[in-house]
Amino acid sequence: MNDIGEFTLMVALATSLYGTVAYVMAARGNRMDLYRSAGKAPVITWACVMVSSIALWNALFTNDFSLQYVWAYSNIELDYFYKFSSFWGGQKGSLLFWALILTSYMTAVYFQGRPKNLLLVSYAMAVMLAITTFFLFLLNFSTNPFERIPLPPLDGRGLNPMLQNYWMVIHPPTLYLGYIGFTVPFAFAMAALITKNLDDAWIRLTRKWTLIAWFFLCMGNLFGASWAYVELGWGGYWAWDPVENASFMPLIVATAYLHSVMIQEKKDMMKVWNMSLILLTFVMTIFGTFITRSGLIQSVHTFDEATLGYYFLAFLLFIIVLCVVLIIKRLPLLKSKNELDSFLSREASFLLNNLVLLGIGFATFWGTIFPIISEAVRGVKITVGPPFYNQVNVPIGLILLALIGIGPVIAWRRATWSNLKKNFMKPVITASVGAAALFPIVPLSNRSEIYTYIAFILCIFVMSTIIMEFFKGTRARRELHQETAVSALGTLVWRNKRRYGGYIVHVGVVMIFAGIAASQSYGTHVEKHVKIGETIEIGDYMLRYEKLVPIQATSVKTRVVAQLAVEKNGRRIWTARPEKEFYKGQDQPVSEVDVRSTLVSDLYVILADFREDESATLKVYLNPMVSWLWMGGWVIALGTVVCAWPDRLEQRRRLERLKRQQAVFAPAQE
Amino acid sequence: MIRIQKAVLILTVVFLAGIAAVESAYAGAMLADLENALMCKCDDKCGKVLINCTCSTSDETRKKFTKLLDSGLTVEQIIQQQVEKHGETVLSAPTKKGFNLTAWVVPFGALLVGGLGLRRLIQTWTGKNDSGKKGPEGEGEKISSTGPSKYSRQLQDELDRLEL
Repeated sequence: MNDIGEFTLMVALATSLYGTVAYVMAARGNRMDLYRSAGKAPVITWACVMVSSIALWNALFTNDFSLQYVWAYSNIELDYFYKFSSFWGGQKGSLLFWALILTSYMTAVYFQGRPKNLLLVSYAMAVMLAITTFFLFLLNFSTNPFERIPLPPLDGRGLNPMLQNYWMVIHPPTLYLGYIGFTVPFAFAMAALITKNLDDAWIRLTRKWTLIAWFFLCMGNLFGASWAYVELGWGGYWAWDPVENASFMPLIVATAYLHSVMIQEKKDMMKVWNMSLILLTFVMTIFGTFITRSGLIQSVHTFDEATLGYYFLAFLLFIIVLCVVLIIKRLPLLKSKNELDSFLSREASFLLNNLVLLGIGFATFWGTIFPIISEAVRGVKITVGPPFYNQVNVPIGLILLALIGIGPVIAWRRATWSNLKKNFMKPVITASVGAAALFPIVPLSNRSEIYTYIAFILCIFVMSTIIMEFFKGTRARRELHQETAVSALGTLVWRNKRRYGGYIVHVGVVMIFAGIAASQSYGTHVEKHVKIGETIEIGDYMLRYEKLVPIQATSVKTRVVAQLAVEKNGRRIWTARPEKEFYKGQDQPVSEVDVRSTLVSDLYVILADFREDESATLKVYLNPMVSWLWMGGWVIALGTVVCAWPDRLEQRRRLERLKRQQAVFAPAQE
Repeated sequence: MIRIQKAVLILTVVFLAGIAAVESAYAGAMLADLENALMCKCDDKCGKVLINCTCSTSDETRKKFTKLLDSGLTVEQIIQQQVEKHGETVLSAPTKKGFNLTAWVVPFGALLVGGLGLRRLIQTWTGKNDSGKKGPEGEGEKISSTGPSKYSRQLQDELDRLEL
C-alpha cells in the first residue's frame, strides 16, 4: 500500500503538470480537444492524491512503523481517533493533507465550471493545477510522507500529547479548508488578469467560494482558540502567537475584500483595490505556511521539522512578483469610474472599514515580522507578544466595531441629515442609555476596563442598528403584503439573503467582541494549595477538594484526576474533575482543565500540581462571557449559510453576462 | 452637509482623545504585572508569555519572582535583572525607546497615512462627481445656488426608503 501511495503521488505530480500546460495551451490556442483532455487532469490528480492519502491513513491505522512518519507521529496505544488526526500532525502529512484539500477544491470547481466552457475557468484551473504542482513537487522530492526506515521499530514515538484533543481533530482541517479555499478566488483573479476579463464576472463566479473559505478560516481560528482554551491550561484562548497571527491576517484581509467587493458590484469601482486584496489574501495564506514551516519565527505551532522555508519563500516571492507585474500590466483595463457622491455614504464607510481592517492586518503583520527586522537592523533579538497586539489592535478594533454599526445603515451615494437622523437616532439613544446603565455597574479602574466599557457601548449601538434594520424591513413587508410578522421576517431574509445574512454575521461578530471584552477585563483567578476537604472561594462559587485519583489509562498514559465539589449558595451544582496526564517518554505532563460554562461566566479549573500526601495546587479562573465567543461563531456560521445559499436567478444572470462577453470557448477544433 | 461633517469630526476627535486619555492612564501600570511583561525562558523555548505558560520552568520562575518581590525588589528592577540575564528577548513586548519605538509608531503611522490618503481619494472622487454633474451651460451651478429643490429632496427621501 505504501508503494501505491508513493507511486500515485508521482502520477499526481505528472498529471497536474500536464494539466497546467494543457489548460494554458487550450486557452491560448482556443483548442477544445486540449481543453477536454486537460479537463481530466484535476480529477485524476485528486484521485491520485486521495489514494496516496488513504495509503498513509492505512499505515497509521495498521501501525506500519516502517514509515518514518508513522513512527514519528503515532504509536500502538494511540486512540484510532487520534491516529486519524496524526495524518496532519506532522509536516509531511499536513502537506499531503493540504494537497488533498486543494485538489478537492479544484475538482469541485472543475465540475462547477465544466458546463460553462469558460476561458476564465480554463486559466483558473491552470493556476490551481500549478499551485498543486508546487505542493506535489515538495511531497515527492522534499518531504515524502512515505519515507521508509530500513529497520522498522516495534513501536512509534506517539503523537504530541497536546495534539491529543478533539479540537485538534476539527481545528486543522477547518483552518486548512479556509486557507486553501482562498486558492479558488485567487486563481480566478489571476485568470481574469490573464484573460483581461476584468469586469466583476470573476468576483461573481467566486463569491460563494470566497464566502466558504472565509467561513472556514473564521471557524478555524475560533476552533483553534477553543483548543487553546481547553488544552493549554492558562485560562485564555488567544496568545497572539506568530502562527495564530498568520491565520488571523488572511481572515482580516479577506473580510476587507468581502466588503469592498460590494462597491465594485454596485458601482463598478475599486477594481485594482479588490484585485489586490484577494491576491494579498492568498499571499498571506502562503506567508502563514512559510512561518509554520520555516522555523524562522519561534512559535509553539511550528512543525518539528521546519525545513521548507526556502521553498515557500521562493514560492511567496514568485507569487508576489507575478501579481504585481500582472496588475501593473492590466492597470489601464482596471480603470474604474471611481466616483463618490459624498464622504457621508455607505461607499465611504466601506472604504474606511477597509482602511481599519487593513490597519489591524498590518499591525499584526508588523508585530509578527518585527523580531526579524530588529535582528537585521540592530542584531538584537526581541519578542513581540500579547501586550503589543493588545495595545495596538484594541483601539483600532473599537473603531472597526463602530463601523460595523455605521456601515450597513448609512445610505448608498449620499447620506442626508434626515437620513442620518432617521437611521441613527434610536441606536445612539439606546447606546447612550446602555452606557448610563452600565456606568455604575462596571469597574473602570484601568485601561482594559475602560476599553471594555467602550466596547460594550459600541456592541449595544451595533446590535440596535441591526435590530432596527430587521424591524424596519419586516414592518415594510407587513404593510405592503399584509403578512404576519414571522412570515414577513422570513421572506425578508429569504429575498435578501446576502444583506440579511451579512447582518446575522455581524451579530455573531458583536457577540465575539462582547465575549473578548468581558473575558479580557473582568476575569478573576485564585491559586491555592489545598488538602482534602479544604475549600477555595471564587465569585459566588465554593470549591471543596474531595479526592485525588490516579488512573492508569493505557500502558503509555497515566491520568491523575482531582475531584472538587462546586457549590453555589450552599448547594452542590457541579463536580469538577481537572487532571494531569503523564505520557511515557514525555518530560512535561499535560493539563486537562475542566470547565463549567454558562452565559454569564466560565468556571475554569486547573490541576497545577499535586503531592504524594494528595494535597494539590489548584488554579481556578472565573472567566466572564467566554461562551459568547463560541456562540458568536455559530451565529456567524448561520449568517454565512444564509449569505451563501444558492440563488438560481443570480446564477443564470451571471452566465448570460459571461456569454454576452464571449468569454467562452469557440469550438474551433471540435 | 457642513453640519454633518463637523459632527463627524467632533465625534472622531472625542473618540481619539478618549483613547489617548486611556493610554496615558494606564501607562504607569503597564509593567505592574511581571507575568505579563516577561516571556517564559524554558528549555523547550515554548515562546509563551509567562502568564500563558504552564510548564514546570514557568512555575519555578513565578516562585522565584515572588521571592524577589518579597525581598523588596521592584517590578522594574526584576525586569531589568531579567533583561541583563537573558537579553531583550525576555520582554514580552518591545520597549518604547530607540529603534523599538518604530514597532509601536509604524502601525498607527500607517493608519494615519492611509486615512489621509483615503480622505484625499474620496475628495478627488467626490470632486470628480460634482464636476461631472455640472451641465454644459452651468445648470449645476444654477441648481446649487438655489439649494435642493422640493423634487430633489423627494428623490433623496425615496432613495433612502429604497434601502428597505
